Amino acid sequence: MNNLLIPVLLIILAPFIGGLVYGFERIVKARMQRRIGPPLLQPFYDFLKLADKRRMIVHSAHAFFGIMHFVSLWFAVGVLLMGGDLILVVFLHLLSSSLMILAGYSTRSIFSHLGANRTAMTLLAYEPVLILIAVSIYLVTGSFDVSSVYKMDQPLLYKLPLAFIALLLILPIKMKKSPFDVAEAHQEVVGGVELEFSGIFFEAVYTAKWLDYVFCYTLVYMFAGSNVLLGIGLMVFTFLYLNALDNSSARVNYRQMLRFSLGVACSLAFINLLIHSIF
Amino acid sequence: MKLASFRKKSPWILHYNAGGCNGCDIEILACLAPKYDIERFGMINTGNPKQSDILLVTGPVTKRSRERLVEIYDQMPEPKVVISCGACASTGGVFRGMYNCEGGIDQFIPVDVYVCGCGTRPEQIIDGVVQALGILEKKTKELEESVRLSKKPVQEGRQLNRRNIADEIKPLVS
Repeated sequence: MNNLLIPVLLIILAPFIGGLVYGFERIVKARMQRRIGPPLLQPFYDFLKLADKRRMIVHSAHAFFGIMHFVSLWFAVGVLLMGGDLILVVFLHLLSSSLMILAGYSTRSIFSHLGANRTAMTLLAYEPVLILIAVSIYLVTGSFDVSSVYKMDQPLLYKLPLAFIALLLILPIKMKKSPFDVAEAHQEVVGGVELEFSGIFFEAVYTAKWLDYVFCYTLVYMFAGSNVLLGIGLMVFTFLYLNALDNSSARVNYRQMLRFSLGVACSLAFINLLIHSIF
Repeated sequence: MKLASFRKKSPWILHYNAGGCNGCDIEILACLAPKYDIERFGMINTGNPKQSDILLVTGPVTKRSRERLVEIYDQMPEPKVVISCGACASTGGVFRGMYNCEGGIDQFIPVDVYVCGCGTRPEQIIDGVVQALGILEKKTKELEESVRLSKKPVQEGRQLNRRNIADEIKPLVS
């Protein structure tokens, strides 16, 4: 009962936690640029303001895709936190991203189409690495279940260090951070797929971004296994690394991103898999 | 409601250059930079009309840009506020009377706050945005309260007279 309580609480509070992480990240990013930055609860102020705006939708399917994107992402986070099947987690996440791509294609806006194209490209970039990581976790633990990782006596990081580095390399793509933020390049394609959402329907997309934080940091935490201190250390390290990278690098185009992720990150994960299966 | 007080803490700004000389635009960008840092009030330069609250316009309206200006204004969901930034946007400035320019944006869209200067100083822009936030709050309240447009029907003999029951519209918040 007790070991079920914490995941359930985490799942219910996941958007709230993600919002806090996002607010804190905005402060850290501002401090790195020697600015003061917004208050910690700024994402929630945005949330309340967006609820007041007039509802404007392009067509009902478009708004529906946005909401379903949020819901399916929440399911993915739920399965991940409950210790379910990692393959299921990856494919639920894929489903949520493809719903967003469908939403992008369903409007007539050219920016929306461009954003959808680019989101599809980012999917192509990070999804193979995620699958490879899931396969190598299967080879280590003998099960696709996330809960089997926490039962190991040794953290996953010591067995799959290169896979963790590969995860660190694809996280900026997944969380749409510079240098791999072609999908929602803010000055270039004005947010990409989220362009046509407004008011309360944009809120679903905006909150899904917070859920993505929870998803990514849980993936990072998974590499520490049962070692809680190491897990927190990994999460803090990843947080600082992502923000430093976001602040210090310029955007690359999608070809460079694809070449980097499939060439470097994917092969790192694959080498780790080979080493583990041979020795 | 207490939640309502959080509304003006996250104004998202849309910046549109209606054919100006870029002087005011650079000053707007200076507001985002570390010295003035308007993000500490929760303001973001979104670049997306469908998600923004405040329209910051610079430049006299050239004949090419006026349709875009009106279109961008139409795409913003209510409540919304327009700030005309600089002498050109407010009156036409040095471009007034030229064959390719209209004088000022208020000929095409309703303007709530005029910010003077050529180019405007960042302090003035921040001041204008703070004024605009007050107006935004007022507009939100007006949207919230329903307006009763009818008087009571009049009893005339045995008949209930429902003609001419439309009331005149009064401003709710002074």
